[in-house]
Amino acid sequence: MWHITKREIYDNLNSLRFALTTVLLLALMVTNAVRHLREHPKRVQRYRDAVTESLNHLTDRANDSLYTLAQYGPGNFYKKPSPLHFCANGGEPVLPDVVEVDEPPVFMTDAEGNRLLEGIWSLSYPDANLQNKDVGPNVSQVDWAFIIGYILSLIALWFTFDAFSGEREHGTLRLMLANSIPRHTVLIGKFLGALLSISIPFILAVLVNVLLISTANTVHLTTDAWGRLGIIFCLALLYTSLFVALGLLVSARVQQSAVSLMILLLTWVTFVVFMPSTLASIASSFSPATSFEEFWQQRHPSRKDLWDKYKAQLRSSELADRKLRAKSEFYTENAEREERRQEAQLKYRTSQVHRARAITSISPATLLQHLIEGFAGTGFERHLQFVDNTQRYARQLREFVADTDRADPESLHILGVREGMSKKPISPESVPRFEDTLNLSKDFNTAAVELLLLTLFVLVLLSGAYLAFVRVEV
Amino acid sequence: MMTLIRRELLDNLMTFRFAAATFITLLLVVANTFVLITDYERRLASHNEAVKMHQRQLQEKITYSAGEVRVDRPPNPLSIFNVGFDKRLGNEVRISHRVVPSLWDAGMHGSDNPFMDMFASMDIVFIFEVILSLFALIFAYNAFAGEYESGTLRLVLTHPIGRGKILVAKYMSAMLCLIVPLLISLLLAIILLTTSTAISLNSDDFLRIGGIILTSVAYLSVFYLIGLLISAATRRTSTALMLSMFVWGFWVLVYPNVILTVIPRLESPEALRASAFNRIENIWETFDRERKHYLATDDFPGEDWGYDLRGWGSRGANLMGNSQRLLYTYRSVMNFEGFGEKDEPKMPHAQKHFGFLGALTIDAADRTWLIRKPALEEIFIQPADMERIWLKLSPVGLYDAATQAWAGTDLLGVRDFFHAARQYRQSVINYFYDNKVFESRQWFSGDKGAADWSGLPQFVFQRDDINTNAKRALPDVCLLLMINVVLFIVIFLIFVKTEV
Repeated sequence: MWHITKREIYDNLNSLRFALTTVLLLALMVTNAVRHLREHPKRVQRYRDAVTESLNHLTDRANDSLYTLAQYGPGNFYKKPSPLHFCANGGEPVLPDVVEVDEPPVFMTDAEGNRLLEGIWSLSYPDANLQNKDVGPNVSQVDWAFIIGYILSLIALWFTFDAFSGEREHGTLRLMLANSIPRHTVLIGKFLGALLSISIPFILAVLVNVLLISTANTVHLTTDAWGRLGIIFCLALLYTSLFVALGLLVSARVQQSAVSLMILLLTWVTFVVFMPSTLASIASSFSPATSFEEFWQQRHPSRKDLWDKYKAQLRSSELADRKLRAKSEFYTENAEREERRQEAQLKYRTSQVHRARAITSISPATLLQHLIEGFAGTGFERHLQFVDNTQRYARQLREFVADTDRADPESLHILGVREGMSKKPISPESVPRFEDTLNLSKDFNTAAVELLLLTLFVLVLLSGAYLAFVRVEV
Repeated sequence: MMTLIRRELLDNLMTFRFAAATFITLLLVVANTFVLITDYERRLASHNEAVKMHQRQLQEKITYSAGEVRVDRPPNPLSIFNVGFDKRLGNEVRISHRVVPSLWDAGMHGSDNPFMDMFASMDIVFIFEVILSLFALIFAYNAFAGEYESGTLRLVLTHPIGRGKILVAKYMSAMLCLIVPLLISLLLAIILLTTSTAISLNSDDFLRIGGIILTSVAYLSVFYLIGLLISAATRRTSTALMLSMFVWGFWVLVYPNVILTVIPRLESPEALRASAFNRIENIWETFDRERKHYLATDDFPGEDWGYDLRGWGSRGANLMGNSQRLLYTYRSVMNFEGFGEKDEPKMPHAQKHFGFLGALTIDAADRTWLIRKPALEEIFIQPADMERIWLKLSPVGLYDAATQAWAGTDLLGVRDFFHAARQYRQSVINYFYDNKVFESRQWFSGDKGAADWSGLPQFVFQRDDINTNAKRALPDVCLLLMINVVLFIVIFLIFVKTEV
């Protein structure tokens, strides 16, 4: 078996396609690295500036008083850019990188502009950074997901389309099978040979890419990031073996290598290029999205309803304490409703995207894209994780405010109302900080199904290739 | 000659690759046309809804100053062929005397899930781009190399036929075979289009589609000739096939995606932006001075722009600017439902003031536009045009650009809408002047009858006629044809010099 593998590799190393592949992959990977080194520092800088600004808001509010913090909340939350952004940009321009903290609403003011009835902060999830001002042509990123998903898979077919049909044309297949080698050994030998000879230029290109990125002092890769890179590399190999297996399968069934290449290319084009977008469009037309206008219109009855509920209590001027409590409840409930409404919209959209993603998973290219995104810490799942983090932090902060207020004996412990809360400044250090963390094991869990699916594809194709080859008459 | 063509044609028609080409193209085009038509219908519905909503919102406003006329860009039915900028750029724009609208001031009436934009969208031209080029190469790779290997080329050449004729025969027959799937699939797509009730195509649209077909044939021919060139130059089928696939991968897959990453993106000229914005700010500072001067010197005491009117309603005014988009304007809104007795004598003064203010604002806005237009052009359009030129270095880019121009979904086509919007603004202003709207009481108060929006001129946007499309598409089409001619000559030279 090793003999066959070795022979294959030597064969390939001397060929034109090997040279072209090496040049192409190297060029792409270097482009990718250069681009990343140029863009990533800017991205990180933008993130840092934004975070500093939002921390300043938090500090100012905490220094002012606990009440201010409870009313205005922290500053906006920003998504931490992933150091592995060069692996998959993950629809970055489409996904928002911020969860906003809405200013407290004002419902009523008196003649001098004093606020009689207001509210407290709530989270809101803004739409994507709409690019409707960009008049340039569509720019797609040359990330690893593109290089692996499109180029490497094409190269895999390129290396395998004549694996059996070419040898059959030359008659060497008959020669080889005349020896006492079992057919599966031949198949595995061929498989490994092709996979290894593709891996050589790929590994070379990856090494150059990673070397460029890790030696530059503008980008810092942690151990976690290296682990993730390792996983992505393994994914690339798994994905490549899928197409190697496909190439072997077709090549074993078809008599002429030209026909074999044609079938392979058509399959590739259909599954890799067309399937993802067509299926996504079909999926999106299943359930129409709620319009923005609808979304705003929902707000009005909700507020009216709330007002009706608390109207009597808010207007009664008998007991100051009860009125304050009613106010506090009104504020909290309004913020809660606002958040719930926003969350419901987000959930609706998320489920739509999830459905589309599930349907497009038939295409191995999309599977790979999702997997790389998942492990690179970019893309949609990562965005959801970020939203999750902010929600958790929001709860934490609210608890912190309640606890701190409870510790103040002068306070009436009526949250969200100026008269009912502690007005002492608190030290900004004691306020919990928002941290946008990534969790590798969590990423693994979300990716598990897709990983299994990809492996399943590989296995099915490999056994298909085996069956095809065993039955072949030479 | 005819025998040659017939021979080649039969050779090609009876092959597996012809069947595969026809089948795959048909399948992809028909399936995607369904999806694209649904998508278009949805966008059209969303457009109609937006138009209705804007109409309603306008009717609800009782004063002219509070009313906001908005116009919406309808989706282009030919975006099914090449979507271009049709989905991407803003599709609703505010028409106001306070600012001359441009593409950068437009908003999106989104009824779509913005997250869904993560998935790449497709159009028919993209399918052709990928698949037709592939088929062209597959048809071409063994045209010479195959015959050379099997020895039939020598046989053909023993007959007293010119080599040029053989070349032409090969070219003609293969192109005929390649055009068949193209035409059938397009025909089916058009049939599907006409069955949809939402889409109405006029005769100009069919001519545009004709232009797209013409461009597709030219594009197809470029790739076929590239394949022939490789086939004639390498003389071995396996090498020719391999090289063809590499060339295909490079031009279709790698180049369009990579080139914009490789070239350094032009930084938008900050100095220019700053200086233009400075000049714009000056205009509005002058405007503000004149406004205050008027308030100080008119017959009414006090400098309040609202003339101390105290009624039921709201008022607000501010100067606002956006240095990114070079936007600057003064906005004053008064929306009153009623006034007390003692406000009545102030009314004539206020009316006169608003009449003055309206004219002043229009003048300032028009002068702003004179500065803004060239600056926007330089800041946004020129770098983007540079990028487009880079893309046009590949036949794929040329094809894309030319079909966009035919379909009217290119940048110029979309900007036509904003041009129409600017003209509409002018007619709205004329209407305001003619009916003395600025001086009217309804400008700021609805107590003596609400603002009457029914007489407002209607906005209609007609896509430019076919001539404009042709004018925009022809340079790229000509380039494609030129590439064809050059390639053909090169192949001819190689073929003539080949020894068999």
